[in-house]
Amino acid sequence: MRLQLSRSRLIAGLVLAIAAASARPARATNTAEAAVRTTMFDEPSSKNTGVRVYHPQVDVSATVASTLAIAAGYSADVVTGATPATFDAVSAATKFSDTRHLGHVSAGFDRADGGIAFSFAYGTESDYRSTVFSATTHHDLYEHNFTLALAYSHNWDRVCDADNTAAAGQVLYLVALPSSAGCFTNTPGIVTQKLNIDTLEPSLSWTMTPRLVIQGGATIQILDGFQANPYRKVLVGSQGHTPQEHLPNFRQRYALFFRLAYAFPELRASALAMLRGYEDSWAVRAITADVTGTKYIGQFLLVSGRAHWHEQGGASFYRDAEGYRILGPAGQYWTGDRELSPMGNYLFGGKIAFFRRPQQERSSWFVEMELGGKYEFLLYRPQSEFAPNADRKFAHIVQGAFAMRF
Amino acid sequence: MHSQCFSKLLILAALLVGGCSISKWTVKPHQRELLADRIMQLDSDPQERAAEEHVLANREGAIGGTGTSGGGCGCN
Repeated sequence: MRLQLSRSRLIAGLVLAIAAASARPARATNTAEAAVRTTMFDEPSSKNTGVRVYHPQVDVSATVASTLAIAAGYSADVVTGATPATFDAVSAATKFSDTRHLGHVSAGFDRADGGIAFSFAYGTESDYRSTVFSATTHHDLYEHNFTLALAYSHNWDRVCDADNTAAAGQVLYLVALPSSAGCFTNTPGIVTQKLNIDTLEPSLSWTMTPRLVIQGGATIQILDGFQANPYRKVLVGSQGHTPQEHLPNFRQRYALFFRLAYAFPELRASALAMLRGYEDSWAVRAITADVTGTKYIGQFLLVSGRAHWHEQGGASFYRDAEGYRILGPAGQYWTGDRELSPMGNYLFGGKIAFFRRPQQERSSWFVEMELGGKYEFLLYRPQSEFAPNADRKFAHIVQGAFAMRF
Repeated sequence: MHSQCFSKLLILAALLVGGCSISKWTVKPHQRELLADRIMQLDSDPQERAAEEHVLANREGAIGGTGTSGGGCGCN
């Protein structure tokens, strides 16, 4: 699968999210919840079929005796598409399809002024396996006006790769993995690479006024191991070398973020905002802003609009396809990854949710039912026509969700 | 000079650790009606958040900023 590194980061993030949710104080009226959600991500290409991903999610959670929160879930990625043509040495894009499965369980213990939660997740696909453990704790201070939280996760990931011992350290002769056939089966010519990821995220929230909550925090992530796309070839130099993508084995990533939520009671609405600065040891720098406005309409409808902006510089060893071809590599590393290129994107979208809450006096087997739908449009701004994935200018994100709370 | 700085730090620390002084700026439980609403939660739906991160983690070179668990809930 061509997206495995992002997968590992995603799994770590997902596990932190689930663990954080488990550590959050449970609402007295909700003792159990079941939710299903399906997201379709469609990224058309001007040169081939692009990429389409279906991402179903199923989650259940329950609170026992008001203090013990348990949760379990399953999600999958069904990916079909074609590799971007620009950076692959092959002139025609190659079609691929893969399915990833991810399961997770978590348990949390809550007190009146704090809580702790632990989570475990396992993800598998034809060429990537991920085992993640995470722990999250939070503690309320000064009459619940401050919340100090800390989340940590560790990934033990395994990546399928071509056996490049024959290259004997000559990185220009690294060969790419042709397909995922034979991965994790001791097949000659195929090896398993390790990748360990540690993620730490402290944050402090402050309830400033009856209308305003702010939060500041940091994210620190250290990756140690194989981080390249084993399938990707990059054309480097005028002599026509097409080695496998080659990235450093070690990466340190840091982010500082600030978030707020502000209520507009006269409008029955709220605004959520996030601002993030990011830097890493590969010299990628980024700034990201996200704003969401949400409003009740009547008793049963909730509508929201979202805008997201991201701008980043490229990694120190990044060049676009023409740069690598004409100038050669910038040092001993090369990449065809859009995430490591100087680029930006905009995201705009909206969401609508319908709620059904039976009256208290009536006998009902559920507390709340929620049915929602979302559409978002993601617009990419690559720096040049030779940048990775420059043939993919935009993407559509469509989502449907259904939840029952008991 | 040093003693002046130390005195200021001491006063600041006393203000910070003194619950009485902080209470001037704290939000009382009866003032948390708006904050307890779902639309005021920084991380109201972990499943939706995971799906959002799933999309953007694959398409941006940065991480973080999603927080862990935030304050503002009046549940307690």
